[in-house]
Amino acid sequence: MTSALWLASEPALLPSRIQMAFTLASHVLLVPLGVALPSLTLLMEGIGLASKDPVALKIARRWSVVMAVQFAVGAVTGTILSFEFGILWPRMLGQFGGAFGLGFAIEAWAFFLEAIFIGIYLYGWERLRPRTHLLFGLVLPPAGLLGAFGVLASNSWMNTPAGTTLKAGKVVDVDVMAALFTRALGYEFWHFLIAIYMTAGFVVASVYAMAWLRGRRDHYQRLAFAVPFTVAAVLAPIQLVVGDLSARALVADQPSKFAAMEITWTTRDHNPEVIGGLIDANGDIHFGISVPSLDSLLVGYSPNAVVPGLTSVAANARPTIVEANITHLAFDLMVGLGSVGAALAVWHLWVLWRRRRPPESIWFYRLAALAGIGAYIAVETGWITTEVGRQPWIVFGVMRVADAVTTAPASFVWTMLTALVVIYALIAYFFVTLLLRLSARWRREDLNQPSEPEVGAPYGPRPRTFTA
Amino acid sequence: MPDLIAFTLLLAITAYSTAGGVDFGAGIWDLLAGGSRRGREARALIDHSMAPVWEVNNVWLVLAIVLCWTGFPLLFQTVFARLYPLFALALVGLILRGAFFAFRHIAEDPRAHRIADLVFGLSSLLTPFFFAASLGAIASGRLESFSLMSIAFGLVSLAATAFSGASFLVGDARRYGAIELVGYFRRRAVIAALALIAVGSAALVTIGFEAPDLFRPMLAGKGLPFALVTMVLTPVVGFLLWRGVLRWYRVLTVAAVGSMVFAWAFAQSPYLVPGQLTIAQAVAPFSTQVLLLVVAAVVLLVIGPAMGVLYYLDQRSALESPET
Repeated sequence: MTSALWLASEPALLPSRIQMAFTLASHVLLVPLGVALPSLTLLMEGIGLASKDPVALKIARRWSVVMAVQFAVGAVTGTILSFEFGILWPRMLGQFGGAFGLGFAIEAWAFFLEAIFIGIYLYGWERLRPRTHLLFGLVLPPAGLLGAFGVLASNSWMNTPAGTTLKAGKVVDVDVMAALFTRALGYEFWHFLIAIYMTAGFVVASVYAMAWLRGRRDHYQRLAFAVPFTVAAVLAPIQLVVGDLSARALVADQPSKFAAMEITWTTRDHNPEVIGGLIDANGDIHFGISVPSLDSLLVGYSPNAVVPGLTSVAANARPTIVEANITHLAFDLMVGLGSVGAALAVWHLWVLWRRRRPPESIWFYRLAALAGIGAYIAVETGWITTEVGRQPWIVFGVMRVADAVTTAPASFVWTMLTALVVIYALIAYFFVTLLLRLSARWRREDLNQPSEPEVGAPYGPRPRTFTA
Repeated sequence: MPDLIAFTLLLAITAYSTAGGVDFGAGIWDLLAGGSRRGREARALIDHSMAPVWEVNNVWLVLAIVLCWTGFPLLFQTVFARLYPLFALALVGLILRGAFFAFRHIAEDPRAHRIADLVFGLSSLLTPFFFAASLGAIASGRLESFSLMSIAFGLVSLAATAFSGASFLVGDARRYGAIELVGYFRRRAVIAALALIAVGSAALVTIGFEAPDLFRPMLAGKGLPFALVTMVLTPVVGFLLWRGVLRWYRVLTVAAVGSMVFAWAFAQSPYLVPGQLTIAQAVAPFSTQVLLLVVAAVVLLVIGPAMGVLYYLDQRSALESPET
């Protein structure tokens, strides 16, 4: 009912939410490789230089080509996002830009650094001395980290806003440190950082798990699989702990979000953990598996621990039933995938430790090949959990999404959304085609005649002369 | 201090207009290069000279946007609440351009290749036109998306980007020893300079009628020195390229286009939106300003040398393939 009222008063609300969700969901897929692939590439290059292994150097150089394409697409989708804040949510930025924007101000400069050093790194293969090349590359991971910090500082501010002094609805003073380092940043930053390194590791390794399944089992395949997979495997168990800490912090910071994640209707002790399942408007749970008292145990290490319910917050200040169900299912899916990833990681680390080589079971590689997609889904669902779970707030407890939305006519936003969907679909198609074509060519080359990996890619060292 | 932040914002906009302008201008000449066969040489050069820099230019844009919303939240809200159609069109151009620049490297079918060239070229018109149009709408003080002022600014930007694109392509053609293309782009740069003078004069007349409060300081106030620099340098660059004196022309091109942006900004200062919003009214709280400047200073200390390195390596051609 309330949402129907909003639709009437804010015609552009629905398309604006869809557009923001769509563009963010697309961009977040580019983030893991954008931030973490440079580290994996540098690690591989370092291995290549330290052990004088030309194969490792070849892998690193190929990854850097993927990194470049990925960076170019991410730069475009990221630019779109920064404009969308103005086009779709001008009132939020107008009121809180001075606090919310701080993180982005840091991110913009970090992006600047990344763009410059990615340029040097990409175009510097074989033109710079190997060690110099590696040294220039070493700027990339901290720059990516700084950028991720900036974006997460802004997002955390939306979840646990702090540091602003309001007078008559206008921000008159900002405590910069309090606005940058909000409560949510502590867990959001580490949780996300580990997530993207894990995802990058699983995604890159999954390509070479596929190669293993197709019968390629040489030094090249082993190295290109083992390095990223081991990085992901070391992080996966840590992520279970960090993720658990994050979820529990929400009990105090955003009880309505936590209640939606667990679809808890009334605040109570001995709260069961519902796995899967849906909640209806009366607070009844359908489907799913209910484990008695487990939620209370997880939150407070005791069945007597009191867990907040959705009804502890006024109906117009908590996620709707649909939003709560989306949040809950996304959360469960993320946790499930994370647990499978951790199990796979333990398998890998165990065999690695006992036998000094990666596992050789076909089931391991089948799962490893799926781990890339699984990791992407986990990132998406994690992001859905935090964003949908925050509803109806754009700035938690302070400003509603409906109060931030543009006054532009809905038809304008729908049109823009349609155009973006079409163009993003094209970009996705070009992007995938390009990667598949590069991979096919590299495979052919490994069998026949080697050439430079960047041939056929839009970005890479330019030949000294150009040919029409 | 608010002025310093406004100045940083202006620098980002100017950097985008000049560096991005060179890029978009190359796209415009790509569009005008003719059919697949006739335009092949020119397109190959354009591709070649653009590949390493194009995504770096987006950086200036993101920087300008972020400085705007963090440093001047009220300006950001006011401008976007009114001018969203212009920004949406500019954005559509921006992503189409990025996507089809990449696509034309992977298109194998000649027809698909031709379509990619076309979309890339057309979107190179779209983006500078609509970004500049938004500046025109701001300069008029009325924030109307489609007005004489926004169209005038848009057209000036097209002439200016074509001009800087051609001027820089002359340099690239020389560097790669493509003698015919040097003459090809010299002729085009001269034509573009003439077009810029014509469109610029028309825009000045438009400003005189539509925004007299901006016109006065532009020709008799803070904007004058910059307006003069543009008016002198544009013909000078045109003359140099016409006579084939291939020295200094690129620096002077940047100076001419940059001064144009400065002339607009200084003429309307201290207003961010003439008659509506001043720098002092729109600026974020004090501590935010401090952080913005501290971050900018720290990063400039890192970025300055880094850009120096990139430029040095590029000039030494250390970033080119070894000869085979």
